[in-house]
Order: sequence, then structure tokens, then C-alpha cells
Amino acid sequence: MIPLENFLLLSAILFALGFYGVLARRSAILILMSVELMLAAVSINMVAFAAYLDPERFTGLIFTLFIIAIAAAEVGLALGIVLRVFRERRTAMVDEASSLKW
Amino acid sequence: MLDRLPLPSQLDRVILLGGTIAALAFTPILIALVVLLIVDQISAPELVFWLAFTLIVAGALGAVLLPNIVHAALSLVLTLLGISAIYLLLGQEFLALAQILVYGGGVTILLVFGLMMTNAADDPIVSDGSQKPFAAGVAILLGVIFAAGLLDASWGDAEATAVSLQAFGTRLFDGYVLPFIIVGVLLDVALSGALLLARPDAPEPETEEAAS
Repeated sequence: MIPLENFLLLSAILFALGFYGVLARRSAILILMSVELMLAAVSINMVAFAAYLDPERFTGLIFTLFIIAIAAAEVGLALGIVLRVFRERRTAMVDEASSLKW
Repeated sequence: MLDRLPLPSQLDRVILLGGTIAALAFTPILIALVVLLIVDQISAPELVFWLAFTLIVAGALGAVLLPNIVHAALSLVLTLLGISAIYLLLGQEFLALAQILVYGGGVTILLVFGLMMTNAADDPIVSDGSQKPFAAGVAILLGVIFAAGLLDASWGDAEATAVSLQAFGTRLFDGYVLPFIIVGVLLDVALSGALLLARPDAPEPETEEAAS
């Protein structure tokens, strides 16, 4: 059988990659994609813990379902904002839309 | 026909190149895993796990490293489908199906739409920010801390137990009705807000002009 550590290791690698993407990318939509990677890493963790350690109550599975739903809402709303910014300023780069930075 | 597609000159080249690279990268891994399976070093679920592991990490690397944003978005699909395989491996069929439907379908389409409507059509190549080395350092540090923490703890010898769809539904609608409804309202509000934000607001000046 696969030990639980393998899933946790996969989740750690995925989270670190997503974190790198959030910090290094300039396009707002690519940052959004990296956030999705981090959410997916957390979901893997929760599902693995629920399936291995808590199969009677499996609260982690329920949380994962909510994470999927909230991630969908987040992507929809963030894309609306990005399209708005692109129409106003003709750019989708986060470092060029910096008028709130003082 | 082909020249009417977006990014025409790149399309066939990308498919050819991507397929070749994927085949070259995955064939040795697959051969190594099958050899290990034959000599009984690993079991069949472990073979599937390591294949999904390779797929997920390769897709995530592509999503954060590829300079062309459309390729990065397509690379993300690999990761999301690999995660669905991980859920199946853990015995959670419903979450695997929800993952394919929501991420493989909806979220990916939305992201590619966003890319196409902003700057992918003009210039799909986006350079990364200047804080790249800093970002790499922090990300590696974070990954090492997580990995050290989880390998340091002892998790016992538990095995993955599949949760039946019936038990999942009973638990969801028995103890989590209120959060479920709140998530429904949240989705409604968020998508209405997205529509409101993305809609062009042209009519207002016209009515003012008509009034004056």
C-alpha cells in the first residue's frame, strides 16, 4: 500500500511550485493559475488525511468539496476584475497596474 | 482552415514538439516503473501513484515556468487531471469526478478565455518579474520546511479507506447543510459580481448626451 507520506510530499512540492508562481509571474491570470495549484495541494492533503486517518467522519472530504466550489467562484470573480483592469488600462500585468501602490 | 485558428504558425509545431518532449520524458519513467513492477519492488497502486506524481509535478513545473501563457494554461490541465487520478487512488470517486468537471472543464475554460481576451492574442510570451531568484529561494525553503516537517512526524500504518458515495452524501446533507447553502449563495453573488464587473458600461454617457 502507498504510505501517507507520499501524498504529503506531493502536496508539499505542489504548494511550493504554486508559491513560486505567485511570486515570480507578472500576468494576473498566471498568478491565478498558481493560486489554483496551491489550493489543489491543500485539497490533496485534506483528502489524504481524511482517507487514511479519519475514514469514519471524513470531514476533509467535505472541506475539499467546499474548496472546489469556492475556487470556482474565486476564478470567476478574479477574471471579471482582470478583464475590467485590462479594459481600463490595456494591461493584465500586475506590476503595471500599480496606482494603489504608494 | 488551420490558419484561422489563434496562434496559427505555432499550433502544429507546438503539438509536435510537446508530444515529442512528453514522450521522451515519460517513456523512461514508464519503463523503469514497469520493470520495478515486474520484479515486485512496487505494487500496481504505487505504479499509478508515481505516474500521477510525475504528471502532476511536470504539469505544475510547466504552468509556473513556461514563458508562453497559453502553453502554461494547457500545462495546468495536466496537473488538474493528475490530481483527479490521485483522488481516485485514495478511493474518492465523487471528488475525482467533481475535480474533472469543475477544474478540467469550467476553470480551465475560464482561464483560457481570460488569457485570450487580455493579451494572448497579441503577444503570448510574458517575461517573469525581476524577483524571480527571491521567489525561487522562498519557494524552495517553504518546500523543504514542509517536507522536513512531514517526514519528521510519524503517521502510523493506516491504509486508505474508500468512502461510499451514499455515506458522503448523507454526511454532507446531514451536518453541513448550512455551509452548503452559504456556498451556493456565495457562488451566485461572486458570479453575478463578475458579470457586473466585466460588462461594458457604455449606456450612461449616451443618456446624458440625449438629456442635454
